[in-house]
Amino acid sequence: MPVRKHGQHMKLFKNKGKDETTLRRQRVEVSVELRKAKKDEQILKRRNISIHLKEENPSLGQDRAAEIVQPSLEEIVEAVNGEDTQLQLLATQATRRLLSRHKDPPINQIIELGIIPRMVEFLGRADNATLQFEAAWALTNIASGTSEHTRAVVEGGAIPAFISLLSSPHMHISEQSVWALGNIAGDGPIYRDVLIARDVIPPLLALVSPTTPVGFLRNITWTLSNLCRNKNPCPPLDAVLKILPVLVILLQHEDKDVISDSCWAVSYLTDGCNDRIQVVVETGILPRLVELMDCPDLIVMTPALRAIGNVVTGTDQQTQEAISAGALAVLPRLLRHSKSVIQKEAAWTLSNIAAGPSHQIQQIITCGLLPPLVELLDKGDFKAQKEAVWVVANFTTGATVDQVVELVRSGVLKPLLNLLLVKDSKTILLILDTISNLFLAAEKLGETEKLCLLVEELDGLEKIEDLQNHENDLVYRAALDIIEKYFSGEENINLEPQTGQDGLYDFSVEKQDFNF
Amino acid sequence: VLFGTCINAIILLLLQRVLLLVASDVDALCACKILQALFQCDHVQYTLVPVAGWQELETAFLEHKDQFKYFVLINCGANVDLLEILQPEEDTFFFVCDSHRPINVVNVYNDTQIKLLVKQDDDLDVPAYDDIFRDEEEEEEEDSENESDGSEPLEKRRRFEEEVIERTMKRRQRREWEARRREILFDYEQYEYHGTSSAMVMFDLAWIMSKDLNDMLWWAIVGLTDQWVQDKITQMKYVTDIGILQRHVSRHNHRNEDEENSLSIDCMRIAFEYDLRLALYQHWSLYESLCNTCYTSASLKLWSVQGQKRLQEFLADMGLPLKQVKQKFNSMDMSLKENLREMIEESANKFGMKDLRVQTFSIHFGFKNKFSASDIVYATTSLMENIEKEGPETTNFIKALDSLSRGNLDKLHQGLDLAKKQLRAIQQTVASCICTNLVISQGPFLYCSLMEGTPDVKLFSKPVSLCLLSKYLLKSFVCSTKNKRCKLLPLVMAAPMDVEQGTVIMVGIPPETESSDKKNFFGRAFEKAAESTSSRTLHNHFEMSIIELKTEDRSKFLDALISLLS
Repeated sequence: MPVRKHGQHMKLFKNKGKDETTLRRQRVEVSVELRKAKKDEQILKRRNISIHLKEENPSLGQDRAAEIVQPSLEEIVEAVNGEDTQLQLLATQATRRLLSRHKDPPINQIIELGIIPRMVEFLGRADNATLQFEAAWALTNIASGTSEHTRAVVEGGAIPAFISLLSSPHMHISEQSVWALGNIAGDGPIYRDVLIARDVIPPLLALVSPTTPVGFLRNITWTLSNLCRNKNPCPPLDAVLKILPVLVILLQHEDKDVISDSCWAVSYLTDGCNDRIQVVVETGILPRLVELMDCPDLIVMTPALRAIGNVVTGTDQQTQEAISAGALAVLPRLLRHSKSVIQKEAAWTLSNIAAGPSHQIQQIITCGLLPPLVELLDKGDFKAQKEAVWVVANFTTGATVDQVVELVRSGVLKPLLNLLLVKDSKTILLILDTISNLFLAAEKLGETEKLCLLVEELDGLEKIEDLQNHENDLVYRAALDIIEKYFSGEENINLEPQTGQDGLYDFSVEKQDFNF
Repeated sequence: VLFGTCINAIILLLLQRVLLLVASDVDALCACKILQALFQCDHVQYTLVPVAGWQELETAFLEHKDQFKYFVLINCGANVDLLEILQPEEDTFFFVCDSHRPINVVNVYNDTQIKLLVKQDDDLDVPAYDDIFRDEEEEEEEDSENESDGSEPLEKRRRFEEEVIERTMKRRQRREWEARRREILFDYEQYEYHGTSSAMVMFDLAWIMSKDLNDMLWWAIVGLTDQWVQDKITQMKYVTDIGILQRHVSRHNHRNEDEENSLSIDCMRIAFEYDLRLALYQHWSLYESLCNTCYTSASLKLWSVQGQKRLQEFLADMGLPLKQVKQKFNSMDMSLKENLREMIEESANKFGMKDLRVQTFSIHFGFKNKFSASDIVYATTSLMENIEKEGPETTNFIKALDSLSRGNLDKLHQGLDLAKKQLRAIQQTVASCICTNLVISQGPFLYCSLMEGTPDVKLFSKPVSLCLLSKYLLKSFVCSTKNKRCKLLPLVMAAPMDVEQGTVIMVGIPPETESSDKKNFFGRAFEKAAESTSSRTLHNHFEMSIIELKTEDRSKFLDALISLLS
């Protein structure tokens, strides 16, 4: 008899899933900040050794050093502000060169020269394509730094100039502008929306054509992904609706990098409320995403899995779309993937499907997901194990009694009980919850005793009893609750084997299978 | 770490228990004597282990590495990567005093575990550090690392200076650098040669520490003379170093001259001399010496009938009666001996022997004991390579070492006797090789192989004796042949080494020319020839131009060597 799932219950789990997502997002943001901080640190570090590097430079490329005389910063300022176009070009080139060397680009020093507005002006010199290009490159690299660096470029008036250069007749200039705009969009939701408000999207999308060179297309895709990126707020819906059809096309491209960035864009768009998931689902892209989820390349697999994982945090109907697209057929392989990050991500996805109605749970069983799930629970990396516990918890909440029996038969109990030894009380609570759910099902079948025996034989009782000493009050109560409900009656018999009622302690139980 | 900065380390060394590993050559023995004397006056505990080759060096190191942290290597170890072959712990230190050149570059640039004792004015021509060592660049890996891990794309990206071009440029530069490095190292390692005598370096050390004694100075002289007798250094280098030692000699010996008791056995006097280049003549007969000295025997071509005739004419020209010439030098008429040097020189000039006079030193102790530096070299070498087995392996070494001390005249005299035998054996072998045309041109080099059963062949299974023989043979051959091209060729010589194991010992020596820089390329060539034919060879000698190989592999090895050098 199916366990009725309370609406509240279900919401709780979906929300739990969501919590996880939010947590994950936060984590991503934190890591982004860390990466940024690290970058800044590197810049600082590099500045410290700049003298050393200057000495090294001539020896690195003697022939080049002989060709190019690098002007001083003072000379650059003078030339950029002067009227001689030849000198302007040379100085802009020199600036670009400084900013594009691998080590220690002097972004701050260049900003302090106050030449950004002048560079922006150069972007408008339609008569001098070389100058336009050099200025665009230099500004791109300034915008690639910290938020402050990006702001310096935006405040210099670069946004409209770059947007109009998207339509430059010179492809390399238009490509450089795409890159620069990508850096500005990547700074965060504010500049992203400023760009969108300036109508960056139509000229950008117009650049995508069957004849666009791959390198250029990669830049466009990356910039598009930045326009889809970031929350609080998420990008405006009309912008998303404009971009999506192009993303669908790009996802069909043969280049891995184009596909990867397109997938990331879709994953950003699905990382939000159900309405946003809905617009993505409606493009009919899910089968392609599932296909890409099975791609051996991590750069494609990772964002595709993320996107599908986001979709199944949505409504039952949206989740069903992902299932119908074949997601469950791919997940067993991903649960067994050699990278634990993939295992974890796959388990997270599965946990949200397991939180669905029993007919979706049935599909989990049918698609053979229980064996890899048990393996993961048993031997996975801890983060992946935690996600696997979520899968089991959600499963036992929404499953029919038969489905629960199927779960127990697959051997889930042993690794689950073993995980009671972990330190994380949230996980312990979740496991105890799950055990209660199992007993509820057993009660319905009148097989409580057998489940008791099984738990005891797997050293579960011992572990649950120990948890009564747990420092976390909730854990203690949940453990106590189980002991009192299911193990107190026969306590004397079970805990003291010497009482003489050996008949109960029958090993045949094991052989009979747990067949309630 | 080179000489100058080494002094502090040496003083530190004097406080430790050290293991002395000493190669089997006279220069090494002399350096060892000086160091022992230094250790003695500072009460340093040391253990001495003679090592005849790389295998013994490795074994000795392995046996003692647990008890010792400080190792002094004399005339061995400089020309290979010591850390590589010995794999020492990090707290093990090596002080290397070795005249073998080129010095391995890792030894030169390792400034922690390897301390090289090298005279600062020695021209080492070591490649610049930056030309041969390069810090690994991590940057490239950093770039490629991000590519496939499936992490989120960067929010912002900087466009680098022509990324692809730059990377290929870098790679190209790296390749060019590596090619250049190979070239530089090839040039550097191509030729084997010798630097300043280790005994002289050791003496310099004693002098800097103000602990130099006249005995030490004598050992330094013998060390240098060994290099000259073994033909290891150029005439120029020899003369320069003689000049250096001469200053020390006058500093140490002038005050003795007016003292009456300077003739006591305890008092020794070293004197600079223009002496005759006649081996052992003061302990032999003039005739024997003339016949068994390479220079005179080759110049007069004594292996032929005409040569013998020329010798008679030469003696007649000097006006010396044959009876006097053939009797012991000591017993010759005093009246004849008075102007002997001048007389011989004058006649020698007429017979085309313009270099019969050499700058050298002699030592006097007591009334009747006078030895020339080369006498000591011949005697010590013979003791060291004595083929009569008198005890364990190290007996010869110890005996040779002892013969260098003033108190061991009996050993020295035994050495002189052995040396005469050796020189005679060499001379006879040279004569028979030339008369039976055993020296054959192989194209790029001359080749001579001694057969098993040749008289005295056992003597030439020893490296120093074989080298001496080869050099005498080549000099004689150059004088005997009319083929001008052959006069310019180097010589490869082989002799049976161990009949039971079926091995031969082979040595290669550079061409015998007036302006010879004494640089030897056979070390590398042997190595390559062995490699390309997978011949079973053993590069066991510190002198890389000496190799041991299985007799069966000899012909394919030679073929490879010929094609390599053609």
